[in-house]
Amino acid sequence: MADAREQAQQLSGEVVQVVSFRLGGEEYGVDISQVQEIIRMVEITHVPRAPHFMEGVINLRGQLIPIIDLRTRFGMPRIDATKSTRIVVTEIGNKRVGIVVDSVSEVLNIPIENVEDAPEMVAGVGTEYIQGVGKMGERLIIMLDLTMVISSEEKQALETVEGATP
Amino acid sequence: MSDELFNREEFVAYFRDEAEELLQQIDADLLKLEECVNTGQTDPEMINSLFRALHTIKGSGGMLGFTDVQGLAHKLENLCDLLRKDRMPLSETVVDLLFHGRDLLTDYVESAVTGAPPPSGVAEYTSRLDQFVAIYEETSHVIEGRTGPELKFEDAAGGAENKQVSGAEVDAFEAEVARLLAEAETGQPVAAPQPAPEPAAPPPAAEAPAVEAPAQPEGAAAKPAAKGQDAQKRGSIHQTIRVDIERLDALLNLVGELVINRTRISDIANTLERLMNDRATAGDSTMGASHAIVAPLAKDLADSAALLARTTNEIQESIMKVRMVPIGQVFDRFPRLVRDVAKARGKEVQLLISGAETDLDKTIVDEVGEPLMHLLRNSVDHGIEPPDVRQQRGKGRAGTIRLNAYHEGNQIIIEVTDDGGGIDLDKVRARGIRQGLISSEDRLTDRELIELIFTPGFSTAEVISDVSGRGVGMDVVKKNITRLKGIFDVDSVSGQGTRFTIKLPLTLAIIQALLVRVVDELYAIPLDSVIESQRVEMPDVRTVHGHEVITLRGQVVPLVRIADFFELGGARDPEKVMIVIVGLQGRQVGLVVDSFEGEQEIVIKPLSDVVGRIPGISGATILGNGSISLIIDVHSLVSDAYVSGKAARAEFSGV
Repeated sequence: MADAREQAQQLSGEVVQVVSFRLGGEEYGVDISQVQEIIRMVEITHVPRAPHFMEGVINLRGQLIPIIDLRTRFGMPRIDATKSTRIVVTEIGNKRVGIVVDSVSEVLNIPIENVEDAPEMVAGVGTEYIQGVGKMGERLIIMLDLTMVISSEEKQALETVEGATP
Repeated sequence: MSDELFNREEFVAYFRDEAEELLQQIDADLLKLEECVNTGQTDPEMINSLFRALHTIKGSGGMLGFTDVQGLAHKLENLCDLLRKDRMPLSETVVDLLFHGRDLLTDYVESAVTGAPPPSGVAEYTSRLDQFVAIYEETSHVIEGRTGPELKFEDAAGGAENKQVSGAEVDAFEAEVARLLAEAETGQPVAAPQPAPEPAAPPPAAEAPAVEAPAQPEGAAAKPAAKGQDAQKRGSIHQTIRVDIERLDALLNLVGELVINRTRISDIANTLERLMNDRATAGDSTMGASHAIVAPLAKDLADSAALLARTTNEIQESIMKVRMVPIGQVFDRFPRLVRDVAKARGKEVQLLISGAETDLDKTIVDEVGEPLMHLLRNSVDHGIEPPDVRQQRGKGRAGTIRLNAYHEGNQIIIEVTDDGGGIDLDKVRARGIRQGLISSEDRLTDRELIELIFTPGFSTAEVISDVSGRGVGMDVVKKNITRLKGIFDVDSVSGQGTRFTIKLPLTLAIIQALLVRVVDELYAIPLDSVIESQRVEMPDVRTVHGHEVITLRGQVVPLVRIADFFELGGARDPEKVMIVIVGLQGRQVGLVVDSFEGEQEIVIKPLSDVVGRIPGISGATILGNGSISLIIDVHSLVSDAYVSGKAARAEFSGV
């Protein structure tokens, strides 16, 4: 039944397709068009003097991909990688960036009318990259605008690096 | 990218490349034409080449609907046509008109491709051009109103007029195109391009020599021309295709992967072989029949791994070679530059170029143009003296600038030499004092004085011209060259001239590196900057003003602990330090590492577009086992050490 409803919504084009993942106790979602692939945790090479949220770089089939730890970025405590830890490789603009998440759940079709603007009280996190909150029954999915997550990171990174050079 | 049948963007990109090349060639031809004005000897092939280039631009521009480009190219083509047909004498005015027109055409091409605003002053130019041309065109009506091509071919055959023949060649070419187009449309072979539909015997017979006739004198004219003209040489039939550099990079990336996998397979083959041997010698009884099957397979695997290794290496080398282009691509635009600057500054300068065919990596070719341009401008503006001064000094009125490129080992050397006045060290000293860079008591060596010109904002030019002297130049040149991992050097002899030397690596993509371990991570240090590596006992490490130094053959060398520089933490060895001595332009620094892990050829991957610029790190590489190793930026480490260590060194040597 749920399938039929989803299908109907898909047909009318009134859904957003997101890849949902967990981070701490919360569930986040990013637009599926920004996700390139999801890989298991691999060894991350530390890059000295890089901004603190920059975990390092990985080798993805011969390409270097910077890895951002969303936990650090969002001010959550760091945890060791587990079996379910994943790297979501995203492509924004023409830049590939990997983000480390606790686990990846599924691809969701969220009806557009179920997506609300971010509540004001979340403002502390820096709401510029929270697009809204999607409701799927009891679940709340925080929809991230990765372009903003990364561009504001870059800005910050740039300031950090410039601040570090004498 | 779209899969449309007609991808306009691709055509526009192609047009731009083609037009750029042709405009470059036009420039070169015009420069030669200008010489002809002086010597009074005209080479018809040159005017033809000019005409053809303009004709092609006109055609391609028109095809894409760039009417401005088409229109201007047409006008210039007309001008050349008059020259070609000897309807107009060659004069300085004509050459200047052509130069100006060529520049406007360049702007038009740029504006058509990028959507930039069209150049200004075109109306004035075209009216001037039209007026000028009108005088001569009246006399040429006969030619324009010709009745048919036969007449011309007769002329050509009889009078052996080269210019005339080439005109015919163009017409024949156009006719041929029209014929081929018609053929493509109808699917039927179309024999005669002429408005002679009746399949009678005479017209095709007349046609046959018509097509062949121009080819011969054309070829004959091209031969002597090809001797001295490198433009001609490059224009000759080379089978080439244009490939987007990104595609090559992608290919190189894949080959990098292949190399990694090759190493892995070799490792597996070696391990297997060793295991088999061990077991065989140990007389392992459990092996039995399976050994008989596996042993030959292991041998096969080892053989094929070796073959794979060889092929992979060759592929890698070939791709690196594909990326190599002659530096002449950059040199081509300099004759014009030198001419313009010399003219503007009232100097007489002759530019001699050699080694234009020297190959180097495309990425470096693209980057080296601007520094060279600065150097040449500088040489014309500051180096070469005004004609009268030169005469007083007993030199020829015209100065000479030599631009020379050649390979030396794994490097390319580019020299810009002028026979001008050399760097006036007294002036530099005075200027340095005035700008507060040095004090009047400072006893500086000549070398140190010359180094002053690399200071940002420094200029000895009395008058700030629009060419140079604004204080942007030498420091920028040096910075750019350093960024390319190159070395920039200046020699100057007062009264005799100045030589700028640029040494660049042939490629930035693959280098030899020394791998070192620092706190559990492997780092790569480019081998070209490594002087030696050694183990030093702690008692031999001394401190000067809190900075660790060692004395190496009487020289004080500051130490940089990589672990500290990168804030990696880690414990220090209380007994000894492992040191890699790196040197850059006479400065040495000892990098302290945990251990040496051998030399390896590595493929450099840029890191800056991945994580931004990180001080002390110039890139990364992927090692045989797939892990990543960061490449240490020796330039920044050395200069960093010297900023903090200079005072220490001065104190130490003062003891």
